Amino acid sequence: MENVIEVRDLEKSFQNQLALKKVSFQVKKGETIGFLGPSGSGKTTTIKILTAQLHATAGEVKVFGEPIAKLKDPTYMKRIGILTDNSGLYERLSIYDNLALYCDLYEVEKKRIAEVLATVNLIEESQKIVQKLSKGMKQRVTLARAMLHQPELLFLDEPTSALDPVNTMHIHQGLKKLNQEGTTIFLTTHDMQEAETICDRVAFLHNGEVSLMDTPENIKTQQSTSSISLLLRDNRKVVVQKDEAGAKEIYNYMKVGEIVSIHSDEPTLGDVFVKLTGRKLL
Amino acid sequence: MNEATTVLSTYPINLALIIAGAFIQAAMVAEEKEKNTLRGLLLSPASTLEILIGKSALSGLMTILVIIGSIIFSGYAVPSLLLFSLSILLGLVFYLATGTILGLLSRTVMETSIIGMPVLVIFGMSSMFKPMVENATLINIIELLPNEQLNQIWFGLSDGKGAADILMNLFILFLWVAVSFLLTIVIYKNRRFD
Ligand SMILES: Nc1ncnc2c1ncn2[C@@H]1O[C@H](COP(=O)(O)OP(=O)(O)OP(=O)(O)O)[C@@H](O)[C@H]1O
Ligand SMILES: [Mg+2]
Repeated sequence: MENVIEVRDLEKSFQNQLALKKVSFQVKKGETIGFLGPSGSGKTTTIKILTAQLHATAGEVKVFGEPIAKLKDPTYMKRIGILTDNSGLYERLSIYDNLALYCDLYEVEKKRIAEVLATVNLIEESQKIVQKLSKGMKQRVTLARAMLHQPELLFLDEPTSALDPVNTMHIHQGLKKLNQEGTTIFLTTHDMQEAETICDRVAFLHNGEVSLMDTPENIKTQQSTSSISLLLRDNRKVVVQKDEAGAKEIYNYMKVGEIVSIHSDEPTLGDVFVKLTGRKLL
Repeated sequence: MNEATTVLSTYPINLALIIAGAFIQAAMVAEEKEKNTLRGLLLSPASTLEILIGKSALSGLMTILVIIGSIIFSGYAVPSLLLFSLSILLGLVFYLATGTILGLLSRTVMETSIIGMPVLVIFGMSSMFKPMVENATLINIIELLPNEQLNQIWFGLSDGKGAADILMNLFILFLWVAVSFLLTIVIYKNRRFD
């Protein structure tokens, strides 16, 4: 399938500090990609380079098959959507008027506003002045704004960081719908649950490099400890390996009716990340 | 009409251009920066020209209203409406562009009044200082400034001069407009990058 994003040996340094060392990855059309990494690992920097807000120091960055330099062209800006925390809303305008302004900028019909507001669960509040909204509500308006023109490629920098579980679920459903309608999504997150729920593939960014990129399932199975925990009648916990010897052991316990429960020790994405990097996601 | 009274009656027009045209524009652009709303405009597919015109419409309109008001209050007799309007239009574009640049260079609305000071002194007050200046070179430089060009156009028109006589002034003014306009576009486009 065709690659929407191709990044090869991307390097970015600020003054003397190296933020991205050797980042390489590809995103295929129609995928939802999760970019995971601890605070300061360069997630936002990567998005800024991909959206032509920062120049790369070295390396090759292609979007839609073209070098990033071409992205500055207005027609390319129309093909992408961007949500970052450095892009604010007009505080004195209502939610509706904020979106109406962007309809004009992106040449989108106003009737689309109701659709995106439904996605972010804000239909009722559309006439409210942005200044009076909670942080999570503002974040949802910004997200609605980013998807207004149904971009082919959507960049989301921590789209749900200020949201409660109910609204996060709403957003996830909205993003899935958008994805089904053909939008490729590139998002950063600290939330492993989020990555597992909506991402086709996730990438671990660590020490300025992508240390792993695969489907959440593959990552978990490949990195699994291949052990099984057994809870026995006398409340004892026994860990056996997933091999012939382990199977035999389980059989022996079962024969005497000792086993209360069997639990396969699948790691969470978070466990894998900590194991790989020695760092916790914050 | 002698020069002194013309300076007095046209000074409000210059002041309107600089306060309403440049400083209000600067504050409005700086607010977009301060509130982070400029980013969205920069990243939108709308063209630079569309954004700049849209962003200047309000302060431009306000400036024109203030100018009309000050003409009425000062009883200034507009010499040739067509040429006078042309000079105002050129002046307006120059001061709006200057204001936009000030706004783009400031991080906050507050900062515009600080980095705007030299602009106020040079383009706003130089006509007042000119009679006190002795150095001939400095006087020549002052006379090339856009506010002085505007004054010269207006004196000329009041003295019954025609388009041919003020052509040079219009040309110099036009150069100021072109330079400030190009500078605005370059700085605006650069704002996209952190
Ligand atoms: N404009 C800048 N000037 C200097 N250094 C910068 C700049 N932007 C980012 N950095 C540095 O680059 C590194 C990566 O920052 P970045 O914002 O990309 O991290 P992040 O992964 O998005 O973190 P977070 O999860 O906290 O948002 C950090 O060390 C940061 O200090
Ligand atoms: Mg970040």
